Amino acid sequence: MIEIKGLVKNYSTGQGVLHALNGVDLKVNEGEIFGIIGPSGAGKSTLIRSLNLLEIPDAGSIKINGKEVRSLKGKELRDFRRKIGMIFQHFNLLSSRTVRENIAFPLEIAGVPAGERNRKVDRLMELVGLSAHADHYPSELSGGQKQRVGIARALANDPQILLSDEATSSLDPESTEAILDLLKRIRDELNLTIVLITHEMEVIKKICDRVAVLENGRVIEEGEVIDVFLNPQQELTRRFIRTVIDYTLPEGLEEMVIKGTLVRVTFKGESTHQPLMSLLVKKYQIDANILYGRIDDIQGTPFGTLILEMIPNGGSIDQALNFLKEQGLVVEVLKNG
Amino acid sequence: MGELLAILEKYNHLLLNGTLETLYMVSVSLVIAVIFGIPLGVLTTITRKGHILTNNVLNKILDGIINIGRSIPFIILMVAIIPLTRALVGTSIGTTAAIVPLAVAAIPFVARVVDNALLEIDPGIIEAARSMGATPLQIIVKVLLPEALPGLILGVTLTAINLIGYSAMAGAIGGGGLGDIAVRYGYQRFRIEVMVQTVIILVLLVQLIQWAGNKIASHFDHR
Ligand SMILES: Nc1ncnc2c1ncn2[C@@H]1O[C@H](COP(=O)(O)OP(=O)(O)OP(=O)(O)O)[C@@H](O)[C@H]1O
Ligand SMILES: [Mg+2]
Repeated sequence: MIEIKGLVKNYSTGQGVLHALNGVDLKVNEGEIFGIIGPSGAGKSTLIRSLNLLEIPDAGSIKINGKEVRSLKGKELRDFRRKIGMIFQHFNLLSSRTVRENIAFPLEIAGVPAGERNRKVDRLMELVGLSAHADHYPSELSGGQKQRVGIARALANDPQILLSDEATSSLDPESTEAILDLLKRIRDELNLTIVLITHEMEVIKKICDRVAVLENGRVIEEGEVIDVFLNPQQELTRRFIRTVIDYTLPEGLEEMVIKGTLVRVTFKGESTHQPLMSLLVKKYQIDANILYGRIDDIQGTPFGTLILEMIPNGGSIDQALNFLKEQGLVVEVLKNG
Repeated sequence: MGELLAILEKYNHLLLNGTLETLYMVSVSLVIAVIFGIPLGVLTTITRKGHILTNNVLNKILDGIINIGRSIPFIILMVAIIPLTRALVGTSIGTTAAIVPLAVAAIPFVARVVDNALLEIDPGIIEAARSMGATPLQIIVKVLLPEALPGLILGVTLTAINLIGYSAMAGAIGGGGLGDIAVRYGYQRFRIEVMVQTVIILVLLVQLIQWAGNKIASHFDHR
């Protein structure tokens, strides 16, 4: 649906050229929620804003439904933009317009006649649960409510794609949760494709199907969210995962108690239910202490994290680790015994 | 007693006439200044770097025009454009003639006020409109002007008050209005009470305009 190849964007600044995007390749499939995560300054906003040419890339290609976006100009570009909704961190609502008028805005721009406009706005307000606030001004709404207006407004012209630039970053945890649920719901109901950028792994974990990690204008890791959680390849990705699944042991504990090999084991799905611990002890003669354990839910798939201390009791650690790997678990040695 | 009444009546009539003349000069020149100043201000803003119709050359020219217009003292401007005033009104003396320099002085003032008010708008809002496929004209009419409306109203209020001051100056050199009365009766004929009365009326006018401007602006302010 969206195919990005070799995307480059440079800014000339006082200190020379800044490479905001350094050859980005990405593919977003129809109907998925695709997350792009990265630290501040990684180029996330530049990337997502390139998709509707709010930012003009210097090189590369962006194809949406097979059509090159970069060649669009004038009226063609405006018509194209009408079919891509966008929501923003700071909502960007018109303060001079009520909720109803804000949602009607993109319809006015597209020249939709008043009668149809009103019907549509009513439906959209219902969809996002704001019918009771139709005549309120944005300044009278909470952050979460403002973002609902933003979402309704973005959906007004029946887009196929919704772009979200840190849509929950200035919301409290409760509103964040509600907005993420809403995004997921509209994706399901309207069969939207959503591209969202965030610097919070929590958002990725909650609603994204696939994720790309952006650093210094490059995609350094990409894949199904569950796979990336299970088996992160890059240090940055690990750090992001640790922000939601924190398995770092309390300071000092490691030096004090740990004599054996410290291992992090992650697994998804059915492996959760296998009696691995007892097998380790019985078959491989390894004593394993669980120092940390939790099971998360990544969009319906159980996702487990264990920190084990393994002490050989006649058996071999390597054999035991191989056994765990054979079971489809991801094993990472944190500290050798 | 009868004499006093007659004087009062005479002066009241005079002051009423002067007030009406002042209001006439100020309101007509204000309307003209708004008609020309708003487009000039809008054009200046949108041609700025990073705005919807960036055009550096045009922006520098417009910015220069506004600055020059604003830096010429009114009294000099009034004299300098006498030929223009004659060409437009046929004479350079009288209330109608005073409207020309008043409007010319107020146009760059309004333009700057508009420019400032439009720059206050959060760029994110403009970006949102662009992301929806709005044309530059739609952005001006549906985003920039409505969002800046409270600021624009306050700016026009300020212009009106400045124009009252300028109109008194114009009156002093033959333009009619309260300034004319203050100079002719108060200064030249030592009628201090007339001077004081014109000043009181001017103060009241300014207060009234500012009060109304604030009221209207806050009515449209939903931020
Ligand atoms: N208009 C611009 N002019 C110059 N440099 C810019 C401009 N816009 C962005 N940059 C720079 O490009 C880099 C990428 O910026 P971008 O806004 O895409 O980052 P981001 O990943 O969205 O960061 P954040 O999480 O802070 O929003 C940054 O170093 C930024 O300073
Ligand atoms: Mg950003």
